[in-house]
Amino acid sequence: MKFNKYLIKKELFTEFRNNSSLYLITPTMTVLIIVFPILAENRFAIDEDLFIIIQILFLILFSTLFSIRNPIDNQKLSRELNFARITRSEYFINKITSEFLIYFPQILLFSVLYSAFTNTSVKTSVLYFIFTIIFFSVNTVMVNIIFQMFTSFNNKFVQFILIVPIYMAFSFFIAPIWLGINQELINIYLMLYLGITILIFSFTNIYLERNEK
Amino acid sequence: MKNIFLNSNNLTIGYGNEIVIKNLSLSLSNEKNYEIIGKNGSGKTTLSNFISYNFEGNLFDSVITRDKLDISEISPKATLLENLTLDENVAYFTHYLGIDEETINSKLNKFKLTDYRNDSIKNFSSGMIKRSELAICDIKNPDVLCIDEPLNYLDKEGIEILEDLLNIRSSDNRCSILSSQESLNILTNMETVNLNEV
Repeated sequence: MKFNKYLIKKELFTEFRNNSSLYLITPTMTVLIIVFPILAENRFAIDEDLFIIIQILFLILFSTLFSIRNPIDNQKLSRELNFARITRSEYFINKITSEFLIYFPQILLFSVLYSAFTNTSVKTSVLYFIFTIIFFSVNTVMVNIIFQMFTSFNNKFVQFILIVPIYMAFSFFIAPIWLGINQELINIYLMLYLGITILIFSFTNIYLERNEK
Repeated sequence: MKNIFLNSNNLTIGYGNEIVIKNLSLSLSNEKNYEIIGKNGSGKTTLSNFISYNFEGNLFDSVITRDKLDISEISPKATLLENLTLDENVAYFTHYLGIDEETINSKLNKFKLTDYRNDSIKNFSSGMIKRSELAICDIKNPDVLCIDEPLNYLDKEGIEILEDLLNIRSSDNRCSILSSQESLNILTNMETVNLNEV
C-alpha cells in the first residue's frame, strides 16, 4: 500500500477544475432537501419516521450521482498509468483516498443540512453519526472504483441500475444506528461495516497485485 | 547492455475474435531502433500499443518472452491530462524519477515550452501537446520510446526537435520505435518491421 501525493493531487485538481460534483450535484441535492420538507409536510419539519428513510434515500441518490459524474475511460487510464509508471493497485488506493477527500465533506455537509432544514435529527451521537458516514463514503467510493476499473460501462444508466442496489445494502447497516439502537448493537454494526470494508479492499488489492506480477 | 526485451515467433493479437496481426516474428533489442511500417488497418498502432503495454485486446496462441523495461509511448491520442497545467503534468508523469528542477527547465526550454508551463493543456494545440509529450519523454529518458505516427501535428521546428531527440537516444544506445505508413528516414540505423508482408 503506497500513497502517491502526485496522484492524489492530480485527482483533486481535476475535480476542482472539472467541477461537476462541487458545482452541480451538491447544490442540486441541497435545493432538493430544502424543498423536500415544504413539499412533504408544508413546513420545515418532517415526522421522525419519515426522516431517516428519506435521508438514506437522499444519501443513495447523492452517492449514485457522485459515482456516475465522471466515468473512468479504462483505455485512457491504462495509457496514463503506464506513462506515469503507476500500478493499478497503487492507483486503486490513491483514487479511493482522493475520492473520499472530495466526497466525505460534501456528504457530511449534506447530511447536516438535511437535519437542519427538516428540524429533525438522527437518534445517535455525533461520533457514531460521523463513523457511519465515513464507512458509507469509503464503501461507496470503493465499490464505484471497482465497478469502473473492472467493467466498461459506456452507459451511465446501466451503471446507475447496477450500483444502486449495492449502495442500498450499505445503507442498511447505517439505518439501525441512526434509529437509535443500544450501544452494544452499534458496536456490532460498526464492526460488521469495518469487516466488509476491509474484505472488499483486501480482495481487490490482492487481485490487482496478483495481475501485476 | 544489449538485450532482447521482446521476442516471439508467432505473435497473434487482435480485438474480440478478430485477428489484427497473425504469426508475426518479432525480436526487439533495447539498443536498436525500429520502424513499424504498414498500410491503414495493418496493425501498426496495435503492435505499438502491445510493445508499450498499452494493448487492451486479445492475445491468441502466441509464445512471447519479454523483459519488463521502462517503455513510454506517444500516440496520436493525447496522454496528457487536459485539466492540469504543463508543469503539473510534468510533475505527475515524472514523479517516480525524482528529477531536479534544473533538468526539467532545460528540457522544456529545448522544446520551446518554457512560456507555457502554467497553461492548461486543454488550451494547447495538438502540435503543442505532442511537443509536450516529447519533452516529458526526453525528461524521463525511457529504455524504449514508441512513437505512433511521429510526424503527426508537428511543424518543421517540431520535426527537427524530434530528430534531435531520436539521434541523442540512438547515440546513447536507447531503443526508439517509430510506426508510420511508410519509412520516414529519420534515423539511419533502423530495422524495419513491415506489417504489409505479414
